Amino acid sequence: MLDKDLVMNKTLRILNRKQGEDSTGCRMGVVIARAGLGKTAILVQIALDNIFHGRNVLHVSVGEGLEKARAWYDDMFLHVTGDLPADRAAELAEYVQRNRMIMTFKEAVFSRPKLEERLNDLVYQDIFRPDCVVVDGFDFSAADFDEVADIKDLMSSMNLQVWFSALSHRADQRVSKEGIPAPCHDIADLFETVIVLKPEAPGINLHVIKDETACVVPGKVLALDPSSMTVQEG
Amino acid sequence: MKWNIDKVRNIGISAHIDSGKTTLTERILYYTQRIHAIHEVRGKDGVGATMDSMDLEKERGITIQSAATYCSWQDHTVNIIDTPGHVDFTIEVERALRVLDGAVLILCSVGGVQSQSITVNRQMTRYKVPRIVFINKCDRTGANPGRVARQVREKLGLNAVMMQLPIGLESDLNGVIDLVKMKAIYFDGDQGETIRYDEIPADLLAEAEARREELLDAASMFSDELMEAALEGTPTEEMIIAAVRQGTLALELAPVLVGSAYKNKGVQPLLDAVINYLPAPADIENTALDMANDEQEFTVVPDPEKPLISLAFKLEDGRYGQLTYVRTYQGAMKKGDTIVNSRTGKKVKIGRLVRMHANEMEEIEQAGPGDIVALFGIDCASGDTFTSPEVSMSMSSMHVPEPVISLAIIPVDNKSQGNMSKALNRFTKEDPTFKTFVDPETNETIISGMGELHLDVYIERMKREYMAEVEAGRPRVAYRETITRRAEFNYIHKKQTGGSGQFGRVAGYMEPLEEGEYEFVDKIVGGAIPREFISSCDKGFTKSLQKGTLAGAPVTGVRCVINDGAAHAVDSSDVAFQLAAVGAFKEGYLKARPVIMEPIMKVAAEGPSEFQGAVMGSLNQRRGIIIGTTEESNYTVVEAEVPLAEMFGYSTVLRSLTQGKAEFTMEFSAYKPVPKSVAEDVIKAYQEEKNKK
Repeated sequence: MLDKDLVMNKTLRILNRKQGEDSTGCRMGVVIARAGLGKTAILVQIALDNIFHGRNVLHVSVGEGLEKARAWYDDMFLHVTGDLPADRAAELAEYVQRNRMIMTFKEAVFSRPKLEERLNDLVYQDIFRPDCVVVDGFDFSAADFDEVADIKDLMSSMNLQVWFSALSHRADQRVSKEGIPAPCHDIADLFETVIVLKPEAPGINLHVIKDETACVVPGKVLALDPSSMTVQEG
Repeated sequence: MKWNIDKVRNIGISAHIDSGKTTLTERILYYTQRIHAIHEVRGKDGVGATMDSMDLEKERGITIQSAATYCSWQDHTVNIIDTPGHVDFTIEVERALRVLDGAVLILCSVGGVQSQSITVNRQMTRYKVPRIVFINKCDRTGANPGRVARQVREKLGLNAVMMQLPIGLESDLNGVIDLVKMKAIYFDGDQGETIRYDEIPADLLAEAEARREELLDAASMFSDELMEAALEGTPTEEMIIAAVRQGTLALELAPVLVGSAYKNKGVQPLLDAVINYLPAPADIENTALDMANDEQEFTVVPDPEKPLISLAFKLEDGRYGQLTYVRTYQGAMKKGDTIVNSRTGKKVKIGRLVRMHANEMEEIEQAGPGDIVALFGIDCASGDTFTSPEVSMSMSSMHVPEPVISLAIIPVDNKSQGNMSKALNRFTKEDPTFKTFVDPETNETIISGMGELHLDVYIERMKREYMAEVEAGRPRVAYRETITRRAEFNYIHKKQTGGSGQFGRVAGYMEPLEEGEYEFVDKIVGGAIPREFISSCDKGFTKSLQKGTLAGAPVTGVRCVINDGAAHAVDSSDVAFQLAAVGAFKEGYLKARPVIMEPIMKVAAEGPSEFQGAVMGSLNQRRGIIIGTTEESNYTVVEAEVPLAEMFGYSTVLRSLTQGKAEFTMEFSAYKPVPKSVAEDVIKAYQEEKNKK
């Protein structure tokens, strides 16, 4: 059923595990970018890569609807599986659906206790046991160090990998000493991996600012294919 | 004959269950003076809403059959079809949308865009029906029309533009602000019948101005005149209405109005909007197929002087015989006219012509283009086209979904037996999604339809309207079978038992068909099977498709290719080759790894967030795949795909899990293979049943 090679060449595999082995256990990563540069696309690729490697992904979307999140998965899935025979693609689509759950919250509703409650519902009732959680739309500008650390503790206690997206603003020029931009500059220590998307002619580049898992040497720059928002090789 | 077609509006009212469609229609009829008292759907007076004329509808508080009525507003005739909200009666909604020119999509200001609203919107899009949105129940706790308008944009993909703002919300709802007139509208009098225009309350003025700007921006896209006037600060009411109308008719704009039908607020401006923004019959391009000219598309002209083209979209068997609801597209029909059913070629004379008002009727002499009327005593099927004798046209047919659930019914006595037949005869004629047949093996009468409620209603109607008491068996899912790989066959049918014998050999292969149900391909060369017996092979395969060998379910998604065979000069015949094809199919089928498919339903369960875990757990236990959840304030929607076989009796389970606070809707999504363990059970049950016979 799984098709590791399929994803290896097309998604963020290199960021998603230690070289030569599958990553497990807690790890917290963040994709930082200004609006419209493709944060969700990157998160969805990370999620798909996890799914194709046999792990369950909980996609938490804050402030966006279920349909929008689904549409991202459908689009990315098409890019990844476009060359496959129709029956194989249909089989994989079914597999993705079984191994992914999307949870959407209105901004005002989302909180760490709420997330814990929902995760407990899923796990204790054996409805869905995630290995990886991606959180799209979390408002880092309104959260302090303790709050994010608390979420990290929760994920650690459940042995979950977690990826966030963070919205940066052109006007906010603050950066940490490692070069991690606001709004995550003050909480950079909490993340094992930090990726920043930057518009740089002729397209958008993905900068790996920090990676404690040693998958990638910090400073690595990858280009995104502007039509599909997938990471180009090289 | 003078016929002012610009003054006709044919509209439908559609929405998610319990959004207030019937309540709104009741107000419309009251304000247009078609009725003189308002009765509520579940009112204490026990009368029930005017449009819910069936006893069952009144008791259950739901609309089962779409009902037609008409009224007059601002010198216009408005034909209204009130449609059911429950997805089991979706054919009623489809029928209505096929013949309507415009629609009002009602949304609940608390529930917002719910699952059925998405279905209804999709249906409206399929039939290219321009629509206006009415956000109802603004008097309810938790009302948030702004959020609902956002959902209309995000979930329905409509370019929603607010035409009004509410003045107050929940229990403080006092009226609405008209953003075109820039006036406050209040609804005075006991039943809100007196409209009073006033200045916009000072505390809402800034917001009203901001929203009007948005309205002007959106509407300007459809009118250069308005754009220029807006830049100069001189847009007029007429300019805005004309631009919004243009955008709406082009399906590129959805005007949004607000109010509370139950509290009698916002209904009259909604009627104004129907006149202002929804199309007259002449604004919509309708096409027919010219049967005399190789089915070429032909645009109908809504001119009363042209030959008649009309569509029968709904049948009803009433006290006075069959009543046929007809929409005329071109020409006119008069009492005494002779018209032709283009499907059967049969000529019929129009005896009585009536205009329907719920279950009451008004005799009329004639109906012009765009009218919705009913004819008496005409034998036809739903979807038939009636024309003048000099033309042969057919309107395209309606989308009719396949039934997904069936059950056996057994009459309790002889009297019920006869009555049951009469009832089934009528129901199947009225409703193409309701089907019935006698299982030749069990001799049981099987009824099939779109859901438990659908069949439940018909069983109840048999009892009430036809005194036919029946015992219903357990609901059964409409399984299907298909093949998963290519397999070859080479079968000889040979019989020699005195007299003329039978001989036929059919060889070839079968393979899965990606799209469609069945395809027959003839690749015979050199006359291995004589030409006259090729169609016999096709017939034999078609016969085999009726019942698969795994669960006795219809076989779909199969391409049968014949490429070799043999015939005998004397013993080969049509029957011999049909039987040879049946044998060949059987031989190939088992090698082609057949699987059983079951209907999968898209389920949306909505309720307070505290029950989210319980709801997800219950769907998970039913082999459901949770697609996702949407949590807003204290309310959560859980969406899942669940096999229909696991959903029987779910409403009771959900009620008890959530203290009656959650509800669910479901609609057919797709056929998917059943898991192995379940397939084994289904096969076992089928074999046991077969052995019993």
